[in-house]
Amino acid sequence: MTWQTTEILMFQVGPRVFAASVHDAVRIGSVRDVPAGALVVGSALGMPFDRERGIAVDDPDGAGLMLVVDAVLGIRSIPEEDVLPLPAFAAACMASGAVAGLVHVDGAPLLLVDLPTLVSERPGATPTQRAA
Amino acid sequence: MADPRRDRGEGSSAGSAGESWFFCLRLLGGRYAFEAPLVTEVVRLGPLTRLPAAPSFLPGVFTHRGEVLPVLDIGQLVGQPSVPIRPSTRAALVHSGPWKVAVVSESVEGLVAIPRANLEPPPAESAGVAEFLQAVGRDGRGPIAILDLPRLVDTARARAVPAGGTAA
Repeated sequence: MTWQTTEILMFQVGPRVFAASVHDAVRIGSVRDVPAGALVVGSALGMPFDRERGIAVDDPDGAGLMLVVDAVLGIRSIPEEDVLPLPAFAAACMASGAVAGLVHVDGAPLLLVDLPTLVSERPGATPTQRAA
Repeated sequence: MADPRRDRGEGSSAGSAGESWFFCLRLLGGRYAFEAPLVTEVVRLGPLTRLPAAPSFLPGVFTHRGEVLPVLDIGQLVGQPSVPIRPSTRAALVHSGPWKVAVVSESVEGLVAIPRANLEPPPAESAGVAEFLQAVGRDGRGPIAILDLPRLVDTARARAVPAGGTAA
């Protein structure tokens, strides 16, 4: 018997840990040499504690945006059955379209974030300033 | 986890003509009910996962039988204090059109039968929870406010993302 798996990148913004598809990340590294205009510091996920590390995102606009994060915790391969979509009512009520669902990692639920959508939402905007 | 429809035979006048069935919850310090067919199950809330950029009436989601379910806090929707969420908190899973939500409650009373003659139109107030009342009824335990679930859920959606795209 074989299981389909998906690879997720786990990262931390502020006090919370999130997950994203590893394919949406181009590079992980320091934000030091990245122009300020290309950094996504505040997002629907909240504000990071520090501004040292980031995830360069493969966004469809090719804007070369980098999401500032507090830590990149690693890559995990998880069964696709552990990836659950966000319920329609929750998706319809949220002011951000960046949360795609939940993944269960070691039994704990993590929000699965669509990184291209997250960074395409106006950089620096607070969540209540945006609509899905 | 209880299926409220299985309990339908509990009432002494179950199924008799002239009665309507409702599913009764305690919240906001009172007795509130939905039309019974809209409630599919009562569950104990698991650990909630908070959602970013979510309105206050959507305190989070939880996983139940492999499905992620949103939690609706009616208290926050109507401008009253949150319904406290504890490990023992129960929620009623309700369907309204395409939406499936878990309505968090202070406690679950279960199915009640109310003679139709005891149902009255809601008061004319249009503020707070009164905005969502469908009828007011009474049984042997006292008054029950019947909530218009479809209107409540649709209003929640509209208040979260109103036309124009700015979150409420």
